[in-house]
Amino acid sequence: MSSLVGFLSLVFAIGINFYLLLSRYIFKFQKQKFNLFIRLSSLLTLLSFFSLMYAYVVSDFSNYNVFQNSHSNKPLIYKISGTWGNHEGSMLLWLSILSIFSFFFSFTKNIDESFQRLTLIIQSLLHILFGLFIVFTSNPFLVNSILVNEGLGLNPILQDPGLAVHPPILYGGYVGYSIVFSIAIAGLFQNTDDEWLYVAKKWSLISWTFLTGGIALGSYWAYYELGWGGWWFWDPVENISLMPWIAGIALVHSLMMVRGEQAIKKWIVFLSILCFSLSVFGTFLVRSGILTSVHSFAADASRGIFILLIFFIVTGFGFLVFLLKEPKKSNALNLLFINKVSALVINNILMIIATLTILLGTIYPIIIEVLYNKRISVGGPYFNSTVIPIMIPGFLLMSVAPILSWQTNKINNSKKYVLAFIILSVLVLIQSYFLDFNTWGFVGLLLGFWIILASIIAIFSSYIIKFNIKFFKIINPHVAHIGVGIAIIGITCSSVFQNELDFNLNEGDKFNVNGKTVLFEKIETTNEINFQSLRGKFLFDIEKNQSKEIEAGKNYYPVSKMITSEAGILHQWNKDIYFILGDQKNNEWFVKVLINPFVSFIWLGVIIMVYSGLMAVSRR
Amino acid sequence: MNRIFILTPLIVLLIICIFSLVYLLSGKDPNKPPSALLNKDVPIFESSSLYNAMDIIKTKDIENKKILINFFASWCSPCKIEHPLFFEIRKKYPELYLLGFNHKDPPSDAKKYLEDDGNPYDFVGVDSDGLIALEFGVFGLPETYLINEDGKIIYKFMGPITKDILKNEIEPLL
Repeated sequence: MSSLVGFLSLVFAIGINFYLLLSRYIFKFQKQKFNLFIRLSSLLTLLSFFSLMYAYVVSDFSNYNVFQNSHSNKPLIYKISGTWGNHEGSMLLWLSILSIFSFFFSFTKNIDESFQRLTLIIQSLLHILFGLFIVFTSNPFLVNSILVNEGLGLNPILQDPGLAVHPPILYGGYVGYSIVFSIAIAGLFQNTDDEWLYVAKKWSLISWTFLTGGIALGSYWAYYELGWGGWWFWDPVENISLMPWIAGIALVHSLMMVRGEQAIKKWIVFLSILCFSLSVFGTFLVRSGILTSVHSFAADASRGIFILLIFFIVTGFGFLVFLLKEPKKSNALNLLFINKVSALVINNILMIIATLTILLGTIYPIIIEVLYNKRISVGGPYFNSTVIPIMIPGFLLMSVAPILSWQTNKINNSKKYVLAFIILSVLVLIQSYFLDFNTWGFVGLLLGFWIILASIIAIFSSYIIKFNIKFFKIINPHVAHIGVGIAIIGITCSSVFQNELDFNLNEGDKFNVNGKTVLFEKIETTNEINFQSLRGKFLFDIEKNQSKEIEAGKNYYPVSKMITSEAGILHQWNKDIYFILGDQKNNEWFVKVLINPFVSFIWLGVIIMVYSGLMAVSRR
Repeated sequence: MNRIFILTPLIVLLIICIFSLVYLLSGKDPNKPPSALLNKDVPIFESSSLYNAMDIIKTKDIENKKILINFFASWCSPCKIEHPLFFEIRKKYPELYLLGFNHKDPPSDAKKYLEDDGNPYDFVGVDSDGLIALEFGVFGLPETYLINEDGKIIYKFMGPITKDILKNEIEPLL
C-alpha cells in the first residue's frame, strides 16, 4: 500500500513539473497559482519519500527495495537510515532535497516575479530529469514477486549513527547547488540587473555549509569506522565531494566581493554552473559504479548512461547559455598589486586549478582504461603532491585578504603583520627543531598559526570589541578563516606527526604507549541483536586510579556475512589514541596503536566553519 | 580569444562524456580489472599436490597443452557455486587440463571440500601461503585463468564463472 502511494505521488509530482514547464509557453499562471503548484509537487515528492521510509520502518517486505536492504532485527534508526542506504532510496532522497530547495525558494520575497518563476522552471526541468531517472531505472517502489517474512539486511558498514545522517547533509550541499545553478541561468536569461547575485549568495552559502558538514561527517565516519587510523583517503567518492566544495569556496567569495564587475559576474555564473555540474558528475560516478569505492552500490550500465545523459544535458545546457548570453557589460575590474579584487582573482584561479587537478586525478583511471585497457589507480601520493601545494598560496593570502583595501595597495597596520609573521616563523622553527623537523609539518603549522594570528590581529585592530550579535556578524569572515587555520593545524599534526606502534599480545599483557602503561585485559565475544561482536578490552594508564577503558574489535554481521572493524579511540584534547585489534596468530593478538596528535582540531575547525557559514546566511 | 575561453568548458564536458560513455558501453566492469598478465607468459610456479607432498607440479610440466587454472578454497562460498561447472567442462573437453590451486586452506578442509563436492581437477596444487596467487595477480577467490599451448595467459576471470560466461567467453577459446 505505502509503495503504491509512494509511486503515485512520485509520478504525480513529475507530472506537475511537466505542466509547469509547459505553462511558461501555453498557460499564463498567476504568481500565486504557480508557486502553489511548485509547493504541491514538493510535498508530493516528500510524501513519496516518506512512504518509502514508512515501508522501511514497518519492515514491509512486499516492497522489493525494503526486502533487499532491510531486516526486521535492525534497530529503528538504521531502518530509517536504510531508506537512503541504497541506490534507489538515495536517489529519491536526492529528488526530495531538490524539492525542498524549490519549496523554500518559492517563498523568497522581494525578488522579480518573472525571475523567480524562471528559476523555478529550471528547477522543474531538473526535477523531471531526475524523476524520470528514478521511475525508469531506479524505482524504489517495485513490488516483491515472492512472499517473504524477512529481508536481506543492510550493508553493515553503513550501520552507524554518523553515516545515517551523513548522506542527507551531504546531499543538502550537492543538491543545494541546483538552485544556485538555476538562479545563475535565470539571471543570464533575464539579464536585467544584478539582483540575482544577492539571491544566489544566500543559497550558495547554505549549500556550501551543508557540504562542509557532510564531508566532515563522512570523514569522521571513515576515521572511526574503517579502522585505518586516517580520516581522508583520496577515495574517488571523497574527491567528488571535495571538488564542488573547493569550487564552492571560490563561488562564495566571488559572490561576497562582487561590486558589479563584468569579469567577476562571468566567474560567478561559470562557478555556479560548475558547482552543480560537479555535483551531478559526482552522482554519475558513484551511481554508475564506474569507480569502485566503499560507497558504491550495485553497478548497472543503463543507470550510468541515463545519469551521464542528465549530466551532459544539464552541464551542456548551462555552459551553452553561458556561451550565448554573457552578463551585461558594466564596471571594469579594479585590479591592483594587492587589493581585495586581485586577492579574489588569485583565490579563484587557485581554487579552479585545485578543482581541475582533483578532477584529472579522479577521471584519469577511466581515460587510461579506455585508451590502453589497463587499470591504474590514482591515490594519495598524486593528490598530496599536487593539490596541497596549489592551495598553499591561497591559505597565505586568506590570512590578510579580509582586511585588504578595495582601492589601494595599502594594508593597514602592515608593520604589525610583518612583525607577527617573523616572530611566529621563529617560534615554529624552534618548535620544529626540537621535534623531528619535517618540511610539511613546518609549512603546515606556520600556515595554520599564521592564519589564526593574522585574523586575530585584524579583529582587534580593525573593530571595536563588543559582545553582541552585530559584532559577531562583522567579524564573521575572520572567524571562518580562524576555523580554517585550526583545521590546518589539525590536518598537519595528525598526518605528519602520526605515530604507529605494533604489538603482539596475549590477554593480560602490559605494554607501553606514549609513556603510559596499558593493560590488555581480555577478549570478549557477545551476541548483539543483529551482529556478533568481538572486543579486546584495554585499560589505559593503569598506574593511575582513574584508568580509562578502551574497546577495540570487530563486528560480524551474519545476515550479510560481513565483518567490520571497530576502532577503539581514546579522545584527548591534544591527541587521539587509536586502537585497532588485528588477527589472532599463534595465540597472540596483533594490536596496532596509532597516536594521532591534534585530530580534534580538524573537527573543531570544521565546526567553526559551519558556524560561520550559518552566521553568513543569517546576515542581511 | 575570449570565445575560446568560454568554449573550453563545453569541450572538456564533451571529452569527459565521450570517455565515460565509451567506458560504460564497452561493458567494462569495475569488478573485472584487465589483467596485466593477459597475453603474457604463465608466471613461474612450483606447487606440491594436495594429496601427495612428493608430487610436484612446475610451470615446465604444463607446456604444450591447454590449461584451465582455478584458484579456490573451502572457505570461499562463491567457489562452491561455480564448482559444478568444472565437471561440465571436464565432461565436454576431456583434453583440457584442469589445474586447481587450493588457496590458503588447511589441507584437511580442502580434502573434505573435494570429497563432499567432488574433485574435477587433474591436479590440485597447494598454495598455502598464497605466493602462487600473488604471482598470478589474484584479487580474490575464485579466479580462473586459461592458458594456451604456447604458455600464454589468454583469458582471466574474477569471481565465480557462470554458464553464460562459460558459453560466451571461455568455450570460444577452447
